[in-house]
This record gives sequence, structure tokens and C-alpha cells, in this order.
Amino acid sequence: MTDLGIVLDLSGSPSGPTIAEIARATERAGLDVIVVPTPAEDGLDGWTVATWVAAATARIAVGLSRTRPVMPQPTGAAIPIPAVAEKARESLDLLVGPRLLEKGWTEAPADAGPDQVRALAKDGHTVVVPVTSVADVERVAGLLPDRPRSTRGAAARARRRPGIDYDNVPASLADTAVEPGDPRYRSVRSTYMRGGSPGLVLRPRTADQVADALAFAREHRDLPLGIRSAGHGLSGRSTNDGGLIIDVGGIDSVEVLDVERRLVRAGPGATWKQVATAIAPHGWAISSGDHGGVGVGGLATAGGIGLLGRAHGLTIDHVRAVEMVLADGTQVRASAEENSDLFWAVRGAGANFGIATAFELEVDEVAEVGWAQLTFVSEDVEASLLAYARAQTQSPRDTTVFLVTGSPQRGQSVIQLYGMVESADPDTIIERLNAFVPVGQLAQQQVVLTTYASVMSTAADVGPDGHHGAGEPVGRSGFLPELTPEFARDAAAALRGGRLRWFQLRAMGGAIADVAPQETAFSHRDPDFQVTGLGAFHAEMDEVWQPLEAHMEGLYLSFDTAPGPGRVERAFPPPVLDRLRDLKSRYDADGLFRDNFPLAPGARA
Amino acid sequence: MTDYGHDLLFGSFITPSAAGAQQALQLAQLADAEGLDLVSFQDHPYQPAFLDTWTLMTWVAAQTSRVRIVPNVINLPLRPPALLARQAASLDLLSGGRFELGLGSGAFWDAIESMGARRLTAGQAVAALSEGIDIIRELWDTGTRGVARVPGEYYSVDGAKRGPAPAHPVGIWIGAYKPKMLALTGAKGDGWLPSLDYLPEGVDSLPTLNAHIDAAAQEAGRPVTAVRRLLNLMRAEFSTNGTGFLDGPPQMWAEQLADVALLHGVSGFILGGDDPVKTQRFAAEVAPAAREIVAAERM
Ligand SMILES: Cc1cc2nc3c(=O)[nH]c(=O)nc-3n(C[C@H](O)[C@H](O)[C@H](O)COP(=O)(O)OP(=O)(O)OC[C@H]3O[C@@H](n4cnc5c(N)ncnc54)[C@H](O)[C@@H]3O)c2cc1C
Repeated sequence: MTDLGIVLDLSGSPSGPTIAEIARATERAGLDVIVVPTPAEDGLDGWTVATWVAAATARIAVGLSRTRPVMPQPTGAAIPIPAVAEKARESLDLLVGPRLLEKGWTEAPADAGPDQVRALAKDGHTVVVPVTSVADVERVAGLLPDRPRSTRGAAARARRRPGIDYDNVPASLADTAVEPGDPRYRSVRSTYMRGGSPGLVLRPRTADQVADALAFAREHRDLPLGIRSAGHGLSGRSTNDGGLIIDVGGIDSVEVLDVERRLVRAGPGATWKQVATAIAPHGWAISSGDHGGVGVGGLATAGGIGLLGRAHGLTIDHVRAVEMVLADGTQVRASAEENSDLFWAVRGAGANFGIATAFELEVDEVAEVGWAQLTFVSEDVEASLLAYARAQTQSPRDTTVFLVTGSPQRGQSVIQLYGMVESADPDTIIERLNAFVPVGQLAQQQVVLTTYASVMSTAADVGPDGHHGAGEPVGRSGFLPELTPEFARDAAAALRGGRLRWFQLRAMGGAIADVAPQETAFSHRDPDFQVTGLGAFHAEMDEVWQPLEAHMEGLYLSFDTAPGPGRVERAFPPPVLDRLRDLKSRYDADGLFRDNFPLAPGARA
Repeated sequence: MTDYGHDLLFGSFITPSAAGAQQALQLAQLADAEGLDLVSFQDHPYQPAFLDTWTLMTWVAAQTSRVRIVPNVINLPLRPPALLARQAASLDLLSGGRFELGLGSGAFWDAIESMGARRLTAGQAVAALSEGIDIIRELWDTGTRGVARVPGEYYSVDGAKRGPAPAHPVGIWIGAYKPKMLALTGAKGDGWLPSLDYLPEGVDSLPTLNAHIDAAAQEAGRPVTAVRRLLNLMRAEFSTNGTGFLDGPPQMWAEQLADVALLHGVSGFILGGDDPVKTQRFAAEVAPAAREIVAAERM
């Protein structure tokens, strides 16, 4: 393709309206770019003119060479502070779309004829010709009337990342794919917990399209590959920098397959809020996470430790079959009867084996539930942790209560308990919750009789603007066989240290422990609690976590983002890890899927 | 009693919210259509929820035709004066003389430092603003021959080309509260642009603060009328039976603002709140009535 445009000649001090008129004429004439020249020292400011031109037009690329940052800033220089200039670029993107072009054009003389322009355009250069009037614009537009055009404009193409064969995106995905220069990019680049700048987001809507996306990914093995369903991953790098994302968020239908067997089919892109809402009219619910915004795809391939966990087990315990596209593009179904090895692996380590495109879930009859949110203050967080653990482990399995706290402020800890009692009887609910009163001084309480679906529905919908996570989550996780006084002591010390910003205990036991460890790749069936910590820096968190980890056995991968070695081994204890690695060699020998606790194919533990 | 005799200006204070750029534009276009004189935007480049104020103002200027655009007020530490001079002149030229320069010395120094500018004490920041104003005026002054040379401790130019000159004499309106800033406003400013909420005793603070500015102006050999007085009004509600300042029907607002104009010489009233209905009533019902009262009194 050949891009042709104009460069505004500002030497005659044209007025604002004249500049706007020339800009609009350029866009109307079908030219590709309006370049604002690097200003003379005493001339019009480039950024202001570029913004003016962009505001006057709708689609056309606006070219302006970037001012070279100089640090430290000379006191008299007419150049912006780099961070302020960056902010201005982001704002312009927001206001007029990604239309700023910062390099890549060649200027032809004002009187250049078609041959000269064609010669300059030979190597795919964008050629711009100086103009002072609308008549000039019309002349330039007539220079190369039949030049080949690209579907994306010059500014969008300039934002492409290296190493991606953008022009050969599979046809089935080309219309929905999103590149950094597309207006929609803002809404797909980041996830709930993480900021990102992927080079290309592919958005398949069928299993065949997923296979096409994987074929493209196999051609780009050297780039990071993220798999995304609803974008709530922590350990799963469902966004990245400069790599590919296969986003199956659009595969999000939920349908009841068999009322008798309470069998439901859900796409990976559905959120647990959508699932809960869809099945609630039948009087059903499925044990999922505690947050309705989390996606089916990420949770049902990892575990799913939620508010009905003790009553009904993990989410994966309800998976009866999964449809998946493997690394080589094969579409398979895995269940207890077919591909049972894969079925085992998907329930706990699914992200290593393929892209799930549908889950069949056997859900439970769940009438009303007691939903409690209790806030305590405590001057002795150690005693509070022990009191919570005592109450929770002695509760019947109808009760699952999680604990969240942070660093104490002036010696006082705020401790949030939230949980569910699966009962429609207010007395039973109150009795169960009363057991938790010793946790501290009750500061606030809210207990309601409601449905599982309405609890899931408190999660806000992600609008058309998508997620806006920034930075990287720093998370550590582990399983606690038992909450001992020694653990409470060390956890209290870590909390008092101030670097453990957020600390959570998720109650397990009950139905979770009914399943034998060898049944699923998630094999940590016996712990009383799953522990999560969030901090600010990895090195800091490693230090904070070390003493706590001494009390733990294994980790739940979903909340762990530690970069160091040994994490995969903690997530999957030896016999599980060996079997997983064997299967990895069978299903993904080249390690295409590696965004979430990647297994080394075939290696021995 | 002081009335500096300036024409009254009415304006709107629009939040440069990144999530609400279209609403900001609509408010500005409403002000443009309804006959307000000014639309103004705060400038906090380190605030992630806000747009870059310069880019937003330019974008708004390109899509309005009559209303004047004013930063309320520019964060000088993050916008080096030589650049600011050229950008301000450029926006004034492009918009056909519709730009006035609200200018401040900066606050929130942690945030300013985090964006790469140096941290100054409050006193240093006033001195830096003073130097910045000198540079801006020199660079705008293309009537003087030769390059611009302004030595300074915080900012200096040494041999910079002058220009571009703005399309009209752009006013430098300073956000000032403390004595040193008020003195600078009197000595070098064309306007004073504080927010009513930040005046220690509200309207009752005006005589003292005005007196600071007047004294500094006279000391610098300037008439006190060289400095226009404006006021940002963030808390104001139309109500049918309210009784407080700017809490009542439009006619009552008009009388109260006319009082402030005639008693304290304030000639610019800038209304916050991002509310189109309020903005419209301010333009259509308050502004003409207040102008009428003031004109009658000045006869
Ligand atoms: C606010 C919040 C609350 C949470 N609460 C709980 C909870 O109560 N219990 C719990 O167990 N976990 C919980 N989690 C963790 C959550 O389950 C995991 O982060 C999960 O991976 C998110 O799924 P997703 O589809 O939304 O995420 P995504 O970011 O879309 O995906 C995360 C990772 O999952 C894998 N993956 C995604 N889709 C597929 C697919 N279709 N096929 C194969 N692999 C796939 C990929 O490796 C991907 O990187 C919570 C997370 C958050 C942010």
C-alpha cells in the first residue's frame, strides 16, 4: 500500500479556521495523513496545532515528530516535561482516537509530480506534500489516484508491535481482532488486576475460530501468549506486553441442558454472576468464587474455592465434561468417559492443556442462603485469627466464612468476615454466625436471607470500556493444613510489619475434602484454609511470606504471582506433577500454553 | 468600597475528567451558545482521572466559536514557561484571540516531583512564578527588537527568539491566596483568580486581599485597575426559598453578585458544578440581570 498526505505549510501564519478547513479537505479527499511540521522556534506550537487539526477531523492520521526528551530539563527550553507530554499523548488518544503518528513520512517538494511521489513511495514510505490551501490539497489528492490502500490507517499501523504478522491474521478473526492502533484497544488491553499492552488481541467466538487463533499463535511461538476469559486472572497472564492474547470472553452463553440432572452448559467467557443468574430461576446454584465478575474459563480450570465450598465442594467438582481446543488445533471433549486423563488434568491445571470452549456443569439445588458481612475491630489480631479458625473448623459444612484483614492501624486491626450459611432458617443462620462473635469487637454487621445469585450480582458489570487494571499484582498463596497458634503468631507479626497489605483466609474442608486427592489435578483436599497475601513488591513479599510458608503445604495457583522458582512444584505435589508433565508432553509438547504456572513437558519431579 | 470598573465576565469551571470528555465538550458548547464569556479548566497533570488540560482546551477551542478558554489555573512547575508562552500564543492565534492564561505556582509537590519536576518550597515557587511571567511576557513581546534574555534562578532564557505573539493581549490571571502571591499578582498580573471556598472568610476576605494586591500594584507603579478580580464559585445552588449566598432564585444570585462586583470590584464569576441546567440558568438568567444592576449603579 502507499500512503499519501500533506504537510501543513505554516510559514504564512494561516488562521485557525483556515488550518481546520485544509485539514477537513484533506480528510475528504481520502488522503492518509496531515503532518504538522516541526515548528520554528518562534512559530506555532506543534502539539497545539496537531490537537487543533485532530479536533477538526474525524479519522485521518495526524503526524507530528516527537520532541526529544531532555533530562534534566534546561530551565529556559520550550520543551515539555516528558511525563506531561506522555499524558498529553494519552489524552489526545482518548479525545480523538489513536490517530497520532510520530514518524515514518518522507516530504516531497511542493511541486512534486506523480513520478517523483511514486519514486519516494517505493519502499512503503508515506509521502507528504506541503500545502498552503485547499486547492493544493486537491492537487495532491490527484497525484496517485489509484494507489493501493490498507484497511487500517497510517497511525494505527505505526502502533503495531514487532514480530507479529498482522497482515495474515486468519480471515475468520480479522474483523474482530484488536490492534494497539484500534479505538477499541483501550477496552481490551488490560485486565482486572493487571495493566498490559499486548500486540494483538484475537477474539474467537467459536471453537473453529479458537483453532484458527491457535494456528496463528503457533506461528508466533517466540511471543508471549495469554489466554483470557473474563480477565480476572492473577497468576494467569491474560494480558502481556507486545504478545498475543486469545480472548474467548465472547463465548459466554449459559444454557440448561438437562433439568432432571441439573446439567448446565457454560461458555468460558461467562462470569459466575451470569451463570448464577441464569440458573437461579430453577432454584439452583453452583459453588463458584466469592466474586461474581470472575470468569468461568479461569476458575473452572483451576479450582474454585468459594462461599459454598464447604457445603458443595470446589467448582471443578461440578464439571462433568469440558470441550477444549488443544495446542495443535484439535477439538476434544474430556469427561470421565472420554479423554479421562485430560479431564483429570483440566480440573486444576487446565491452563496448561488447551483453551476450554465449553463446560458442562452439574449444579446443585440451593434454596435461600444466609449472607453475612461482619466487621470486627481487634487489638489482638493473633487471638482473632485463632478465634476465627476455631469457629470455622467447628462449624457444620453448611457454613463457609472467609476472613480478610490488612495491616493494623494504631494497633487496631479491622477484620472483615464474609460468608454464607446454606439455610433458609434465620435461627440457624444466627446460631452459625454467633460462633464467630469471639473474633473481636463487632463494629458492623449485615446479615440477609437472600439467594446465591443476588450475592454474585453485587459484582459490577464490566462495561464496554473493559477493565482498567494497572501494574502487576503481587500475590502469594498457600494451603494451611491447620491454623495453629504458631501460624497465628507469625501471621500477626507479618501484618504488624505493614508490608502485607491484604491478607485472606478462605475456609475449606467439608465437601471439598470428600473428594479423593487423586481425583483431580487440584489435589489439596485436606487443608482447613487457603491463605492469600497481597503486597506491593515481589522481593518484599518473598520476605514476608517465608515465615508463613513454613506452616503451609502447597499453594493454590490462582492467587500466586511469585516470579521465583519452585512455585509449580508447590502447586502440584510430586505424583500429580509427574502425571501432569507426562500429559503435557502428550498434549502440548512444545509448551504453547505457558501463561499460568507452565509445566515443563516430560521433566521429572 | 472598590469597584475597579471592569466589564463583567461570567464563566464556567469544567472538570477535565478523562471519563467525561464528551460531557466537558458539551458543557463548553453550551456555554458558547448561551453567551457565557469563559470556560475554564483546572490543570493537574498528575491526576490520572483527568485529561491533559492543554490538549483538552485546544480540542474544546477548535469546537467552539465565541467563548474564551482559560486554564484555571496552569500548573507552572509542570509547564515550563518558554513552552507555555508559545503554546498560549498559539492557542490564542488559532482560536482568534479567545485565550486567557490562568496561572498558578503549583501545589501538591509530591505529585509534581513524581512527574519529573523539581520540588520547590512555597516561597521558591512564588519566585519561580515571577520569573516565569517575565519570560512569558518577553517571548510574547515581538515589538521589541532582538532576542529575549531573562536571567533567573529557576527559569532563564538566554537568546531565545521572540514569538509567536498572541492574537490579542492575553491576560495573565493568577491563582493567589497568600501575601507573597497577592503581591506578585499586584506587581505583574492582569488578573486575580482565586476560589471563593479557599478564602479564609469567604467574601468578607475580599477587602483585605484586594488591598494587598492594590498596594503591590501601586508600588510597582501600576494602576489598581490593571488587575481584574475574578472568583471561582464552586458551591452555588438555585433554590426557590434559600437565603444564603448563592442559594436562592436567579434574581437573588444576580443581586448578590452585583453587590460583590460593586463593593469588592470582582468582575469575573466562574461557576463550577458541571451541571448543564445550572450553567444555562447562570448564563441566561443570572448574568444579564447582574450586568443590568451593575450598569445602573455605575451610571
Ligand atoms: C476479585 C477476584 C476474586 C476472586 N475470587 C476467587 C474465589 O473466590 N475463588 C477462587 O478460586 N478464585 C478466585 N479468584 C481467582 C480467579 O479464580 C482466577 O484468577 C481465575 O483465573 C480468573 O478467571 P478469569 O476467566 O476471570 O480470568 P482470566 O484472566 O481471563 O484468565 C486467567 C487465566 O486462566 C486461564 N484461562 C482463562 N480462560 C481459559 C480457558 N478458556 N481455557 C483454559 N485456560 C483458561 C489462563 O491461564 C488465564 O491466564 C478471584 C480473582 C479475583 C480477581
